[in-house]
Amino acid sequence: MALDLSMPILVVDDYQTMVRIIRNLLKQLGFEDVDEASDGTAALARLKGRKYGLVISDWNMEPMTGYELLRHVRADEGLRTTPFIMVTAESKTENVIAAKKAGVNNYIVKPFNAATLKTKIEAVCGA
Amino acid sequence: MGSMAFPRDARTPTSTPSAMIQELLDIADYIAKLRDAIALLRANELTRDRLPMVHEELGEVVAATASATNAIMGSAEGILALPDGPGYRAAVEAKIFAVFEACAFQDITGQRIAKVAEAMSLLEGRLARFSVAVKARDAGGVDESEVDRRKRNESLLLNGPQKGGPATPQDAIDALFD
Repeated sequence: MALDLSMPILVVDDYQTMVRIIRNLLKQLGFEDVDEASDGTAALARLKGRKYGLVISDWNMEPMTGYELLRHVRADEGLRTTPFIMVTAESKTENVIAAKKAGVNNYIVKPFNAATLKTKIEAVCGA
Repeated sequence: MGSMAFPRDARTPTSTPSAMIQELLDIADYIAKLRDAIALLRANELTRDRLPMVHEELGEVVAATASATNAIMGSAEGILALPDGPGYRAAVEAKIFAVFEACAFQDITGQRIAKVAEAMSLLEGRLARFSVAVKARDAGGVDESEVDRRKRNESLLLNGPQKGGPATPQDAIDALFD
């Protein structure tokens, strides 16, 4: 199945530079419809208002972390199937396992490159 | 300055006037040395000059790195948006020189961080000397805000970046998702 380049993607990170980097990488991959949020609370508000094909989220944010966002998304009947990739500097195995148990679809450790992001998006969104 | 021995336990009754006088002299001596130790901390200088300087320098470092990052990313985005054509190479070179210019921030921020490190080292030295001089012990009890912060970090697994790079390499993470 080919990647749907028209699907809307939500990027969640409290560092505007990282949002900009991910947005540019996504643009390079052909994705143009990219929204952003600066933490889990803002992301949830956006998710309630629009159907996204993918969420790419940082972990360490205030007030709501990416881990909490993931758990909210998976607990919500309307959002639970939304593909979710964690992109984070949290690299301890306990973090990865906790995220996997919470239902994350894939996990990328910062710093990362475009090829890694592309591979993970393809794996999650079914290229 | 060596450590100060505090006069014997004040709760112990003093039996004779001469012993009481000696006790008071010891206390006076202790207080004098304590004042010397506090004076050597130069706390006013720290709070008036050094620590504000640390805040200012770190603020400048954050601003400079943000500014440089914006300039570099702006140049990169500009290159990606350039149209093909005869002027392409010259336009790319102009953007690349803008990147070189932006990278000059590292020299300045390096000097700022060196000043901060020097101030922190000085503060550490003075506190260490003071602590030894007065045989300071940390007060009992807990800092509530610190306890709350630790609880939150533990429950949400906020470990932060690891020293020396990721604790778990991407390959090992990928294996968990295969």
